[in-house]
Amino acid sequence: MSRPEIRRWQPEPDQETLPLDLATLLSQVARGDHRAFELVYAELSGPVYGVVRQVLRDPAQSEEVAQEVLLEIWRTASRFDPDRGSATAWALTIAHRRAVDRVRSENACSRREQKAAEPEPGEDDVVETVAATLEYQRVRRCMDGLTGLQRESIELAYYSGYSYPQVAQLLGVALGTVKTRIRDGLIRMRDCMEVTW
Amino acid sequence: MKAMRDDLHVLTGSYALDAVSDAERGDFERHLQRCPVCEAEVRGLRETAARLALACAMTPPARMERRVLAAAYQTRQLPPLSAGRPRRAPLPSRALPSRLAFPRWPLPRWLAVLAAAASVAAAVMLGINQLSAQHQLDQARATAIARVVTAPDAHVETARVGAGGTVTVVTSAALREAVVSASGMAPLLSSRVYQVWVMSPSGARSAGLMHRSSLLAAVRPGDRIGITVEPAGGTARPTTTPVAVLPV
Repeated sequence: MSRPEIRRWQPEPDQETLPLDLATLLSQVARGDHRAFELVYAELSGPVYGVVRQVLRDPAQSEEVAQEVLLEIWRTASRFDPDRGSATAWALTIAHRRAVDRVRSENACSRREQKAAEPEPGEDDVVETVAATLEYQRVRRCMDGLTGLQRESIELAYYSGYSYPQVAQLLGVALGTVKTRIRDGLIRMRDCMEVTW
Repeated sequence: MKAMRDDLHVLTGSYALDAVSDAERGDFERHLQRCPVCEAEVRGLRETAARLALACAMTPPARMERRVLAAAYQTRQLPPLSAGRPRRAPLPSRALPSRLAFPRWPLPRWLAVLAAAASVAAAVMLGINQLSAQHQLDQARATAIARVVTAPDAHVETARVGAGGTVTVVTSAALREAVVSASGMAPLLSSRVYQVWVMSPSGARSAGLMHRSSLLAAVRPGDRIGITVEPAGGTARPTTTPVAVLPV
């Protein structure tokens, strides 16, 4: 019974070197390195799937879009420019934008029945949940520092994938007000989370 | 003109959250090329948006990895942009048709899989009872762990391990339970294991070998969680200095 646990900690035969940072891995992916792409997948599939799922809700569609995003990361890795932002932000921008494109290009859900089964919870889910919980708590704490309108505008725009005119309509406020609240709120979040770019 | 520029500048936030229409995005990206201040602001806001995304990370279905890797290795990659041109690729969103055909496995592969499946079917049947019992245990454990992690009073501590890796302890005082999880820990020789301890003034009690996540019961305020490297199989008492100690 203890045997598999012991083996879990042994290095894989082709993995003597420690994992590199994402930006370095992406430059290797751009050269067609399969092993590097597997590591990139391990690092990014959770956040990519999570944000797509947050916006789209439907598990089957989310899986489809997340696959497209990860494939696009493979395809366009050479276009990632480390001078212009972090690798994580580059990848998650692609993910979020694609999810939003999907929402806006169709009446979501009507096209297909929910076909993919829910993944069963397992150990990996828990690890993912713990990591997300940490980040979530940080985000939550900073969200608490926003005004109600700033917070709602950001949540509706980012997590629900609404455009700012739709957000304005939902909240019953002027367009200009929403644009300003989103920007002010995000700036406050940036400073609160000590984002350094 | 001034008014219009101010109006556009306010769009940095909505642009970073993809809350603009395609037409506005085009206008704004042209504006960005002439406005270094806006560009710098967009960068910071985009990093901020990424943090919002990280907060909702979720494990995708396991089958996704196989599909993505298979599709990737059949997909030609874009070359780098030529050196003569400025390296400011707008984020590639429209570059691909919005729906990619993911290749289904070619038939021979299916046949091979079926043949292999048939040959192991008998073996699987023999083991299936033990497996489903194990599966139920895993499920119960996963549920118990999720309960702690999502408890309203969940308290989180993290520590970096000197030799590499991160250990996180999530404690619920109300449940008197804690979850320890580790990632990126330095691999050990096969004769060594990581072991988890609940350390209190009266001594250290073993919480078993380190898994990616372990559930610890009967945790009291003031206890600390320690992780040591021990001989394979674990020991009754810690024999080495902990590589990580965290409060609960």
